Amino acid sequence: MTTPSTTESIDPIAAREKLFNGRLALPDSRGERFKRGLHQFFGGKWLNVLGVFLIALFLFDSLLGPTLAPHNPLKPAIYDQLQGPSLSHPFGTDSLGRDVLSRVMSGARISLGVAAIVLTIAVTLGVLIGGISGFFGGFIDDILMRFTDLFLAFPFLVLAIAISASLGPSLRNTVIALSAVYWPWYARLVRGQVLTVRTREYIESARSCGCSNWRLLFRHVMPNAISPVIVQVTLDIGYAILATASLSFIGLGAQPPSPEWGAMINDARAYFQSAWWYITFPGLALAFTVLGFNLVGDGLRDFLDPRTRGN
Amino acid sequence: MLAQLLVKRLISVIFVLIGLSIITFTLSHIVPADPARLIAGPRASADTVKLIRHQYGLDQPVYVQYVKYMKGIFTLDFGTSLSTLRPVRTDLGRYFPATAELSLTALLFSLVVGIPLGIVSALKPNTIIDYFGRVISVSGLAIPVFWLALMCQFLFFAKLGWLPDGQRLPINTAPPRSITHLYTIDALITGNLPLFWTALEHLVMPAFVLGFGVLPVITRMVRAGMLETLGLDYIRTARSKGLSERATVMRHALRNALLPTVTVIGMQIGVLLSGDILVEIIFSWPGIGRYAITGVTQFDYNAIMAVTLIIGFIYVFMNLLVDISYLILDPRISYS
Repeated sequence: MTTPSTTESIDPIAAREKLFNGRLALPDSRGERFKRGLHQFFGGKWLNVLGVFLIALFLFDSLLGPTLAPHNPLKPAIYDQLQGPSLSHPFGTDSLGRDVLSRVMSGARISLGVAAIVLTIAVTLGVLIGGISGFFGGFIDDILMRFTDLFLAFPFLVLAIAISASLGPSLRNTVIALSAVYWPWYARLVRGQVLTVRTREYIESARSCGCSNWRLLFRHVMPNAISPVIVQVTLDIGYAILATASLSFIGLGAQPPSPEWGAMINDARAYFQSAWWYITFPGLALAFTVLGFNLVGDGLRDFLDPRTRGN
Repeated sequence: MLAQLLVKRLISVIFVLIGLSIITFTLSHIVPADPARLIAGPRASADTVKLIRHQYGLDQPVYVQYVKYMKGIFTLDFGTSLSTLRPVRTDLGRYFPATAELSLTALLFSLVVGIPLGIVSALKPNTIIDYFGRVISVSGLAIPVFWLALMCQFLFFAKLGWLPDGQRLPINTAPPRSITHLYTIDALITGNLPLFWTALEHLVMPAFVLGFGVLPVITRMVRAGMLETLGLDYIRTARSKGLSERATVMRHALRNALLPTVTVIGMQIGVLLSGDILVEIIFSWPGIGRYAITGVTQFDYNAIMAVTLIIGFIYVFMNLLVDISYLILDPRISYS
């Protein structure tokens, strides 16, 4: 803060609040808005705090997990098979004597990688197809939406299983299968948003200024249609991780010795009566990760929804 | 009016079903392995493979194959299962009732628990029951269904020994005389109570696990719908004219509050059918999901695609039912 040179108030926010009877009538600076946003998102909402904490833990794990892991997640140790939790193996060891903690820590990166690729593909396709469909309407809209509906006619995990079963079991094919089942949801979501945004007056005025269709769509319509997509992406990162784990559990996704969580649970099935730790910890990691993205997604929905933002 | 809407919806459903068949047909043709080679077996000569390719019409143009495939679907002929060597239709007939019994029980469970829980959470917000409801909704969405299934198996079968670990009935028990093909109902109809209890005992854990994934959405929707409806003017009117709280809630508020829930049930059937596959594998439940997954390891594409198609059919059909019931429940809405 600068030293006061005059007798006037030194705090610009306080001064303005005084001026407008405590109501902030002037547009805020970016920093102020950010601070207020943080306060609104976290203030008194311990579920949002918990969600952000869980996501942070997961991201930390996927960035540094493989480096910080106390043991090699892939190297078998024949004499250490299925040992219970101890100081050197806090989560115990698996059927090949590998440290479960190290494997759980290394698995986060795989889950995050798959989810990131799947959602990048799905959102890109969805924004393109949904955007074009909603913006241009008419014949193009009909064709694109009938095509989208085809994919939505199956329960999504069932279609993902069918696709990855046809392509053959591998993590790469899981990515393809999940991208194929996720994009139609984004196409529908974006189309709906675009339909409401494109009738607004500021779009009309941009058009009257000679703005081209594509520029209109991507510079004016999209930025105003995107906030539900952000919410959906947050929720879907969790669900994509869960779907990957489900496919791996069936044997279609990640293959051994990959420390993917679903694949670990699949392997642990055979020992669940004798080695509870082997199946418990990958499952907990999975559940808490999905929970984190769920909580933050819900929090973001409330936060970004203009109807609830004010209060 | 209603009939007109129904016809319209039915026509769109027919288009969706044709679409479903195109997708499964395409999928069974992008298979990297040569189906003729799979049928012939690894040691067959090149001539045999060629012969089989001709026999099964695999050397014909794609559109001819598709027409044949569609004809097959209409006569419920899905070809021969490569893993059981029976016609897929026979297998589906054998395994489908188990899936139906499990999914319907799970749906029933989620509704019977979810709706009252949602109502009570809305009537008494921020009480123990409301918190309980919220914990369930958060955990039900986050806990992987296959992990929950294994954990329940560990607790209720391995540790406590309260419930069996899988199957519809113990191996040495004969199923009841087939009427509906649902063991619990058939046992009741034939008056065989001990068999009914045994069948129910086997059904409880898989149905609970499967229903637990759907429960949160139902509870959440009922709670939200109820909270919204209770704040409306006509509820205040009902209360101020001296109607008992019970009548206000049960007769005036509930019907409107349940409307949004009805729409999500259609979606949730998809969740149910997806989860069903995983649950069937874990509980060795002899349904179509387990049948399809067993087929995956043996490249049994006829079985996998038939099951995918059947599940797609059920999903579309159930959503049609949901739409119709919505129409009947809420006369204000007309689908134009």
